[in-house]
Amino acid sequence: MSPKERSPDGLTAEAASNAQVLLRLLKLAWRHRVRCLLVLSLQSLLLLLGVWGLSFGGIGVDVIRHHLQAGAPLPRWPLGLAPPASLDTWHTLLALSGLILAMALFRGCLTYVYSIQAGKLVHMDVVPAVRADVYAKLQRLSFRFFDAHASGSIINRVTRDVQLLRSFVDGVVIQGVIMALSLLLYAAYMFLTHPGLTAASLILSPVLAIITNRFSKWAQPEYAKNRKLVDDMVLRIAEGTKGIHVLKVFGQERKEHERFVERNLAVKEQQTAIFRAVSVYGPSVQFLSQLNVAVLLGYGGWLVCEKELTLGSLIVFTGLLQQFGVQVRTMATVVDVLQQSLSGARRVFEVLDAQVEVQSPSAPVRPSRIQGALKFENVSFAFGPEQAALNDITFELKPGQCVAILGGTGSGKSTLLSLIPRFYDPTAGRVLLDGVDLRSLDLDILRRNVGVVFQESLLFSATVAENIAFGKPDASQGDIERAAKVARVHDFIMSLPEGYNTLLQEAATNLSGGQKQRIAIARAILLEPAILLLDDPTASVDPDTEHEVLEAVDSATANRTTFIVAHRLSTLRRADIILVLKDGRIVQRGTHAELMEQSGLYSRTARLQTGDFDDLGLLASGGIS
Amino acid sequence: MNARAVNVDPALAQVAKGRALRFMRDGSDEPVQRPISWAMVRRLYDYSSRHKRLRALLFVFVAIRAVQVPLVTWIIGKVVGGPIAEGNFTNVLWGVAAFVGFELFTEIVCIYRSRWAMLFGEAIVHDVRNDMHRHIMSMPLSFFQKRKVGRFISRMTSDVDAVRTGVQDVVFVSVVQAGQAIVGAVMMAYYDWKLFLVMLALVPILWAITRYFRSRLIQAYRQVQESFSRVTATLVESVTGIRVIQGFVREKYNGYLFEELIVDHSTYNMQVTKQSAAFLPLLEFNGQLFLAVLLVLGGFQALHGDVSLATIIQFLFMSNLFFSAIPAIGGQYTNALTSMAGAERVFDLLDTKPDWSDTPSAQHLPTLKGRVEFRDVSFEYAPGRPVLRNVSFSAEPGQTIALVGPTGSGKSTLIKLVGRLYLPSTGAVLVDGVDSKEIHGESFAHQVGTVPQDNFLFSGTVRENIRMSRPEASDADVENAVRSLGLWDLVSELPKGFDTDVGEGGGSLSLGQRQLICFARALLPDPRIIILDEATSSVDAVTEARLQLALQKLLAGRTSFVIAHRLSTIRHADTILVMRDGEIIERGKHAELVQQKGAYFELHRQFIGG
Repeated sequence: MSPKERSPDGLTAEAASNAQVLLRLLKLAWRHRVRCLLVLSLQSLLLLLGVWGLSFGGIGVDVIRHHLQAGAPLPRWPLGLAPPASLDTWHTLLALSGLILAMALFRGCLTYVYSIQAGKLVHMDVVPAVRADVYAKLQRLSFRFFDAHASGSIINRVTRDVQLLRSFVDGVVIQGVIMALSLLLYAAYMFLTHPGLTAASLILSPVLAIITNRFSKWAQPEYAKNRKLVDDMVLRIAEGTKGIHVLKVFGQERKEHERFVERNLAVKEQQTAIFRAVSVYGPSVQFLSQLNVAVLLGYGGWLVCEKELTLGSLIVFTGLLQQFGVQVRTMATVVDVLQQSLSGARRVFEVLDAQVEVQSPSAPVRPSRIQGALKFENVSFAFGPEQAALNDITFELKPGQCVAILGGTGSGKSTLLSLIPRFYDPTAGRVLLDGVDLRSLDLDILRRNVGVVFQESLLFSATVAENIAFGKPDASQGDIERAAKVARVHDFIMSLPEGYNTLLQEAATNLSGGQKQRIAIARAILLEPAILLLDDPTASVDPDTEHEVLEAVDSATANRTTFIVAHRLSTLRRADIILVLKDGRIVQRGTHAELMEQSGLYSRTARLQTGDFDDLGLLASGGIS
Repeated sequence: MNARAVNVDPALAQVAKGRALRFMRDGSDEPVQRPISWAMVRRLYDYSSRHKRLRALLFVFVAIRAVQVPLVTWIIGKVVGGPIAEGNFTNVLWGVAAFVGFELFTEIVCIYRSRWAMLFGEAIVHDVRNDMHRHIMSMPLSFFQKRKVGRFISRMTSDVDAVRTGVQDVVFVSVVQAGQAIVGAVMMAYYDWKLFLVMLALVPILWAITRYFRSRLIQAYRQVQESFSRVTATLVESVTGIRVIQGFVREKYNGYLFEELIVDHSTYNMQVTKQSAAFLPLLEFNGQLFLAVLLVLGGFQALHGDVSLATIIQFLFMSNLFFSAIPAIGGQYTNALTSMAGAERVFDLLDTKPDWSDTPSAQHLPTLKGRVEFRDVSFEYAPGRPVLRNVSFSAEPGQTIALVGPTGSGKSTLIKLVGRLYLPSTGAVLVDGVDSKEIHGESFAHQVGTVPQDNFLFSGTVRENIRMSRPEASDADVENAVRSLGLWDLVSELPKGFDTDVGEGGGSLSLGQRQLICFARALLPDPRIIILDEATSSVDAVTEARLQLALQKLLAGRTSFVIAHRLSTIRHADTILVMRDGEIIERGKHAELVQQKGAYFELHRQFIGG
């Protein structure tokens, strides 16, 4: 990927150049230099031993041949390690075998140590550290980041992209060095044995390298396309089964099957193209390396005939040539991995470098007690240029007061709420808590004093108790139960098979909307916050059980400054002040009684709910403008 | 980069300990391997008979290759041990020429053998997927309620891929490898049977090592996957729940939980590393052991003139061939076990009989009038746990029936019976006088419009979603449906109008917009019967008003069944059925029921918050 290209999820703000990323990756590798070096030196030793060991078999042949064939040349012992002339052939062979075994044993142990060390480098040094770092950073990033990026792409950064990044260490640095070293070593060894033969039998290697690289360049996008097609097909399966009730009621199963068949066929057809190429590529490469062998046999055979080369050396050459071919082919892999690790690393670094917009100030105000007086002073907020969400909002709340907010989709209700725990900061104006600008307060203290109940309860895979104690994992059982009682959910929890220790499955699918929401309320009040925010808490609750949630809300809001977004009259009535929002502005404010007097959005909504339908058309068209 | 090193809170870390590791994730209870069953092999073989010609060709080429590979090696050994060792250069050249020619032939065979194998595998995978999908689609709804979406996906991906490995690799690779080993063995035995016997003694050791490590590796891999799925699942929750996490200042604590998961994952990764770190050197050692033995024994015999140098050289080359085949076959054996497990699950799914399906004598329905009658209908999802008991009522064409009652009272089940997603356990549901058991499902479904409670949308555009209920509808039809519901401006407000992408599960639309699209979708086939499970979620007042207006238009002139949460819908109904514990406890019009001061009166009072 070129640096200017945007990543597929549209993330890159200003992409770092390849060189910068590379430098940073090298620094990362440098941080683990001790183990990196250990791994590399072990591998070099192994390579040396490997080449050396390979020569023994050849020497064995030469020893026997020398004994059997008159005039056959003497074996060439490496490093001048020739046995004393007094040793007869039989004992030489015995010694040689012993040596081979000893070497093999030693090499085996060394390989074991090497693999363990390489594994530790990757699985214990690099990956956990990077993953934990990215995760820690993710948790602190501002909501704007999460708004801007699809959750799938964020998750991939911690999983797939970290894997890609780590492959720089084992797939590029280590593998690359090994490749270079072994190519060098093999070539040197062969060269020492016979330069001409080496040159002749390696003559095709560059062609091999080029073909391999070409192919991998061609194959990469093809495989990417294949993954895309398979994803399409899987999506069809997922949706077809998730939406099966819709397909069934409309009698569209056959049509859906046709759609699936289409995608399934697309996968197959694209695969066929890949298969054609792969099935030609593999054997061609194999044929080329075998041509090397043919050259070796021909030219080498001539050399043996001319007694310029021993038979054993020729056999060793055959082995080395194979190893050489393997390494040439890994060159393409290393290049691939390098590219992938760079793009993975770039995405990981993006997260690590992302600005945390909302932070505690350097010298924060740390009030010992928060009363809960809140004041919005000419607050405006925009998600981006021309994306104004709130406009000049001003109002004031005394500690313990309850404000209800009414408004249509996109009127800015949730945004207004999210300014209070500083999920976002206002673009203009300020929000004051007990007379202090939120931005000068200690962020953790602020958030611990603001309890939030979201539209969707968002419970986690943990026990009920842990979910309630979410904001204070070391809360006592007594605290947890007290909160549950306030939220009117204690009795329900006790009726669960394991009470407070019942595990909630992912997304708590085993609970009803009302039950989940009451647990969420218990979670919010466990910390005894001075301020409670309820973002339409009955939105996804069955009307049958809505009153249970409302009871919980009633008892939870006592003595707390409360913000509640609501549509239903039953909730709105209870508020001290009602704010009616439209397009980010407050269009009406007052108590229920006051607002019912005025003709406006509020009274029309109210009448609709009490069963007076004359206003239906008016209300419906009134909202469009 | 060392953000997490700051602010360590040991007490908090202590609380976090062990809490992240408790969850089993979906799919971890399925066996990875199953013993080879010949019945299953037989079945796979039969299944592949749709591609008989390809399969036959493959077997021929595989057989050729099984002989070719050892022959190539033999030629090298022959040239080295023969002409080269003897110093006869002319013969060396002949040998090289033979080698190149034969090698070329071998690779050409290889092209087709590997291409056909891959095509064969892909063809089977393709067939299996189509068959499974067709089968799944033909299953009644009850089938889906017992199963998770993830299971279907793994059936169609990982399990099918296991089958692919089985048909594409296991048989053919094993044949080539076995052929290679056997031809090699025969030649070696021919050259010198004593040396060959020594080599044969190493085979069981090699096999045992391979099996031992393979089975441990596969276990370790499984644990790696499981621990990783825990990492991913936690991560997904952390990202989707970020608001809660930051709102409750949980960042640090979550960091501890996550770290524990990563460490757990890396422990399993290290297990894999340890197993393979021991496995591979052991394999290699075996080869070296044989080399040593060969030199000693072969050398001894050679020195005594019992064995020629050429033989020893042939052994050097051939033994490699022989030894490399054993771990390769071992690997294929592991693959075979895995594909058995995959095939078993695939065929299990294909063999699952539907609880019910259209009877052969089912009638194609003419255009319905829309009379629906429940005659003493009872229904149970599981034996002995009735959800509906002796429900009887009738709806005349054009009437609206509203269903009210607490959660679990049987409302949803009742409308599912109307929509023929289930058949009654006893009693009968009659549509225009025809028993729903005797109806041709598709002809009925095309005359029923349903708005599901979850407002499910498929990924695609608004237009595609509306058209989903009647794929042959023209663009004008789609637009008319929207217009007649009075929703035209709402669609045109969307960024790309009818071509706006609704996102996965309709995620890029608001709840109100999704509901409105579902209305249009239900209206498009101009159904005689409407089934509506009103969404429980509340929307803002303006959208609410529009929904109610659209709803009135949708229901007008059609027999409709509504699980109602809106007072307006309920008040407009011709009959209200009040349900409790699977029975109809009150029925009548709104005004009548309010007068009765019974269960309905109570519900109503609660609702209006009086």
